[in-house]
Amino acid sequence: MLRYLAKRALTYAFMIFLTTTAGYFLAVSTLKPALLEQERIPRPTPEQVANSFRLKGLDPDLSPWERYVDWLTGILTRWDWGRSPNGAFINAEFGDRVWISTRLFLASIILTLIIGVALGVYTAARQYKASDRVITSYSYLVYIVPAPIAYFLVQLGAININETVGERLFFVTGISTPGLEGDGWAQFIDMLAHYAVPTFAITIVGWGTYQIAQRQYLLDNVNADFVRTARAKGLTRNQAITRHALRVSFIPVAQSIAFTIPAIFAGGFFAEKIFAWHGVGSWSIDAISLQDVNAATATLAYGSVIFAIGAILADFATTLVDPRVRVQ
Amino acid sequence: MSSEMTASAESSTLSTAERLRVAGLHAPDDAPADAVLSIRDLNVRFNTENGVVHAVRGIDFDLRAGRTLGIVGESGSGKSVTSMAVMGLLPETAEISGSVRLNGKELLGLSDKAMCRHRGNDLAMVFQDPLSSLTPVYTVGNQIIEALTVHNPTMTKRAKEARAVELLALVGIPSPKDRFKAFPHEFSGGMRQRVMIAIAIANNPRVLIADEPTTALDVTIQAQVLEVLHTAQEETGAAVVMITHDLGVVAGMADDIMVMYAGKPVETGSVDDIYYNPRMPYTMGLLGAVPRVDIAEKTSLVPIEGIPPNLVHTPTGCSFAPRCPLASDSCLQGEPELWAVAGENLDGGMPHKAACIKTDSLGLEVDVHEIFRAPAVPVSRFDAIPREERRTVLELRDVKKHFPLLKGALLKRRIGTVKAVDGLSFDIREGECFSIVGESGCGKTTTLLEIMEFHKDQDGEVVIGGLSNKEASDARTKSAMRKELQMVFQDPTGALDPRFTVFEVLSEPLENAGMAKAQIRKRIMELMELVGLQPDHVNRFPNQFSGGQRQRIGIARALAVNPKLVVLDEPVSALDVSVQAGVINLLDKLRAELGLSYLMVAHDLSVVRHISNRVAVMYLGKIVEIGDVDAVFDNPRHPYTRALLSAIPVPDPALERTRERIILEGDLPSPLDAPAGCNFATRCPVFAALPPARQEKCLTLEPPLEPLPAPGPGGTPAPPTDQQFACFYPDGELDADALVVHETN
Amino acid sequence: MTNLNTIDLAAVADEAKIEDGDVVIAKSTIILRRFLRNKTAVAGLVIFLALTLFSFVGGFFSSWDKEAIDPFNIGMPPSAEHLLGTSQAGIDLYALTVEGTRISILIGLVVGLVSVLIAAVYGCTMAYFGGKADKVMLFILEALIMMPALLVVAVATSGGGNGLQETLPSWLLLIIVLLVFSWMGTARLIRSLSMSLMQRDFVKAAQYMGIPPRRIVWRHLVPNIGSLLVLDITRGVTGAILAEVAFSFIGIGIKVPDVSLGVLIGQATSQVATFPWMFWVPLTVMFLLTGSLAMMNDGLRDAFDPSSGSIGSAKKKKTSK
Repeated sequence: MLRYLAKRALTYAFMIFLTTTAGYFLAVSTLKPALLEQERIPRPTPEQVANSFRLKGLDPDLSPWERYVDWLTGILTRWDWGRSPNGAFINAEFGDRVWISTRLFLASIILTLIIGVALGVYTAARQYKASDRVITSYSYLVYIVPAPIAYFLVQLGAININETVGERLFFVTGISTPGLEGDGWAQFIDMLAHYAVPTFAITIVGWGTYQIAQRQYLLDNVNADFVRTARAKGLTRNQAITRHALRVSFIPVAQSIAFTIPAIFAGGFFAEKIFAWHGVGSWSIDAISLQDVNAATATLAYGSVIFAIGAILADFATTLVDPRVRVQ
Repeated sequence: MSSEMTASAESSTLSTAERLRVAGLHAPDDAPADAVLSIRDLNVRFNTENGVVHAVRGIDFDLRAGRTLGIVGESGSGKSVTSMAVMGLLPETAEISGSVRLNGKELLGLSDKAMCRHRGNDLAMVFQDPLSSLTPVYTVGNQIIEALTVHNPTMTKRAKEARAVELLALVGIPSPKDRFKAFPHEFSGGMRQRVMIAIAIANNPRVLIADEPTTALDVTIQAQVLEVLHTAQEETGAAVVMITHDLGVVAGMADDIMVMYAGKPVETGSVDDIYYNPRMPYTMGLLGAVPRVDIAEKTSLVPIEGIPPNLVHTPTGCSFAPRCPLASDSCLQGEPELWAVAGENLDGGMPHKAACIKTDSLGLEVDVHEIFRAPAVPVSRFDAIPREERRTVLELRDVKKHFPLLKGALLKRRIGTVKAVDGLSFDIREGECFSIVGESGCGKTTTLLEIMEFHKDQDGEVVIGGLSNKEASDARTKSAMRKELQMVFQDPTGALDPRFTVFEVLSEPLENAGMAKAQIRKRIMELMELVGLQPDHVNRFPNQFSGGQRQRIGIARALAVNPKLVVLDEPVSALDVSVQAGVINLLDKLRAELGLSYLMVAHDLSVVRHISNRVAVMYLGKIVEIGDVDAVFDNPRHPYTRALLSAIPVPDPALERTRERIILEGDLPSPLDAPAGCNFATRCPVFAALPPARQEKCLTLEPPLEPLPAPGPGGTPAPPTDQQFACFYPDGELDADALVVHETN
Repeated sequence: MTNLNTIDLAAVADEAKIEDGDVVIAKSTIILRRFLRNKTAVAGLVIFLALTLFSFVGGFFSSWDKEAIDPFNIGMPPSAEHLLGTSQAGIDLYALTVEGTRISILIGLVVGLVSVLIAAVYGCTMAYFGGKADKVMLFILEALIMMPALLVVAVATSGGGNGLQETLPSWLLLIIVLLVFSWMGTARLIRSLSMSLMQRDFVKAAQYMGIPPRRIVWRHLVPNIGSLLVLDITRGVTGAILAEVAFSFIGIGIKVPDVSLGVLIGQATSQVATFPWMFWVPLTVMFLLTGSLAMMNDGLRDAFDPSSGSIGSAKKKKTSK
């Protein structure tokens, strides 16, 4: 089992290396921070710019290949992902932002999965009844709304609530109130007020896919032969479904977890941008507009790692629920 | 049985009892006191998009403890729906009326929860497909224990485990203690069906329903599972309802038989009544449609034309009338009830009744072949020519197909070789049908694929119509070869592109052969007629035909380019019995008329015996016995052939009750573990009975395929056949453990 | 054997019947009929076609175009002069919406069609060759799936793609980038489907009849994955429209001066409270677009589904002929 997972991890490590390398070359050949520097006032001379970049390891005169070798050596020998044009160290910046993103998404990922799967089971049990139709139609509706617009609409809604109540119940942007004084309870309330809207927005957009998938898989299994066997043993229909069909229907859902994590990460760009959380997602977009090669590549690598983690988790989850794929 | 059933068809006024019965309120007071299961006027209707399907239309029977009722019918006859209705496992949308009483207690109308007290407790069921009937994510032990827990909440964990192991041992799972923790996917189909039986008998049911329990299994495994069912019945004393389409399977097991057609019982009676004195044309047809493995004399099979009626429309007359050769106008006036057939009811079983107004005229003296106008046995012009003088159309010389078994992800290591086909040689002459038989996994299908591949790099030589794969396998030779050799597939649905009309299906090979458009059209019309299809159906899609008709299309396609040899891969195994007979007769006719040769692979030895001239028995990639079909079947020399033949149930109750069966141990071993000596030694009943000194030879030397055995002790002269077999001790003493004889009861 | 040279009267009569086109009902006709019987799907198709038509000829019904600035009407709500009001720059919103819809539909159609084409070629190639080629191609495919598409979109369209941006309009650039990242899922699906088709008996039958591989792929494989392809085209079109809106919304997709629905929606977000029509008009058009496509997709799925209920009546109709 462990050997199998290790082997998968190795394959993914190779893939991450490839995508990151491709990303680096794309970034290094298209992003030209020197052009932005030219817009500064007072306008620096090209020599000054080149000098300052050389010090930060961003020498624009080197060929992409030379810069790639330098950059890679830095990572491999010192775990140094380089610096931004403004001199900031990627490693330091990165840590903060990953933490912010993780805080933003972790609750949403868990809620999305739990609510999606639970609603899927619920609607499958009540197939074609009103509640099933409403919930399933909702999930299909989510499919035709772009995520950022949905987030934006939720934000609008929250603002409306605030206005109606006449008090600032929810914070629609930011991660915490800067300079907030007070005891732990006040801090906690402040955190809730900041978390509520983004978490709610990401969750209600995310669960639809899981609801539809879980509903479908469960319905596929409700009339399976083995459920009939279980009923023939003397289990009621509901017992047979919960004990037998449900467990089997989790297998494909567990596999699809691989795609939630990167999907939420991708959706995360939008969420961070709209709710003004300065996580990895919004950083990556800012990095690109600031022509920051190293930061852009680092976020790309991060995305690939998240994907790989998701895929390995999915493998792991599958082997947990399905004895047929347990590796000897 | 119900005395009300004598109500005549023409009586228009309903009696009170009848009205109650129609309303579903009828209670059977007439059931014998000792009946564990009494069913009265069971009706099942389904609402579908096309209308209300009346799937079961009035079933009555009583079943006493320890007795076995066989319900026989083709697909769609309502036999499975009946069993599911009794179990209360039909979907909620099904409308069920009538009465089902278990030990005098009414089951219909019980809630799911109330029904659960009976299901798995005094009423249990074994389903058809063992591969999908066990939950893949739980161990088999768990699944047996679940059945115990539901009905015995107070039982201790230890007691349940002990009982589960005991049950596994009872159904013949080797080392039950270890296998207890195994998952279903680690078991073969036969083993899984044993587990299913263990689950069913866990709580000593009073009634055990078995729905086609052996249909998905090989004959040798079928024999094992039937044996387990027999043991289970003896152990629990349960009444058994055995549902099957195979008249052979129930002949030896059942006490009573109910034949169903279009949702209704059309003939009931004791097993002897039904098999020896059938009084309903459908039953007669079914019995005549089944080829016999134990009879050499060749007669054509009885084909039943047409297809069963669509149950959306209530039949106004006899539902079998459209297919019945004896139908007259009076048959269409109202549906006949079950009439009592004159005769004695000897053993107190089901009275003999038949739903045919002509019952009385269908006595013993009637010849079913005449009634159903079975075609005469076709004679091929090659039959008169001695085999040696006929041309060879196919020859295999030492063909081998070994698959490497690899392990490892990046660097693959070869950890073994699967010898799927291991040194096969045989030839087929003009106008003959050569069959390969054996259990699934023996390599018979791989052999066909090897022939169809026809590639230079194959291990061994394949010569088709004088063209050898070794000499030239360029495109031209290959296309010449394709004109000599065509194939008919097992699954007629899968073999036809669903997006092609019949015309397109048939024109594809012709176009490929470069035939002109006008000629193609003519040829297609010819082909349609040849295989007995209406030529104006060429514009239909395959899904508009029945299974039998689709197989005819498949045959027509194979014949399109006038091949000399047709490869038939289980050509009738996917078809219903009555339809099967028509296709077999067609194949027989085509062979004679067109001078075709067949290479057939089949697991049904009765079909093989009926249609073949020569047969080869394969075991683990090797031929163990080969020769003229009558010689091999009447005088099998190899112990495996003997076991295989003995495993086939014969539709003859008297014979079934008395004959001695060889039950092989275990499953076909993986070809990977093929032993050094004789492949069959691990399961061989002769080997098991040998003294160790003589066993040595079987374990170290590979028996060659030879025509003449060492002369037997009796010194009988070798018969003048080309029978060959690979065994050192043919006709050896069989191990007593492998032999089973059922006491006549 | 029946003699090939004699003229069979029955056969001649049947020949006439075959030539009579009425007898043959093509599968596509049946599918079309089933689709047309589905009211929602037809409504979807009508809305989609109407929007497409609107995006091409809508400009003729207004005297304003998307570049003309009306200095007297800046940020005005809908009025007689400006049907849908004007933007903050004083540009007629109706003209902008027409233009934006056209660009969005264009992006959707091109990406949807081309990505399915790429996927079909890639997927079938993998399935057909199998073995090593399949492995390598699968690896490339998975690596592409792993790449966060959004970053690449951002790099190509916003950051440094200056060189490219000078030569290509931003919508074309977006099309190219979306194309690169939109076909992998479908390709994987097509691969597994073709692989299972290759195992089917009718493909084997064709092989054993000596039909050349090219013909087998064309006559047996492609028609049998055809329904999937059509479904994936509608799905792909929806996906591309949604992606364009999402990317442009956060400012990394289409760039002004090019307009698209996403750009219009994105620009309006900052003043939803003051200029609500600027936000809701393009948003409604987007919903109509994606919604109509979803309705069509649903109807198509039912029409292709051999187990769907409507096949029964179609079949009955046919047999009764």
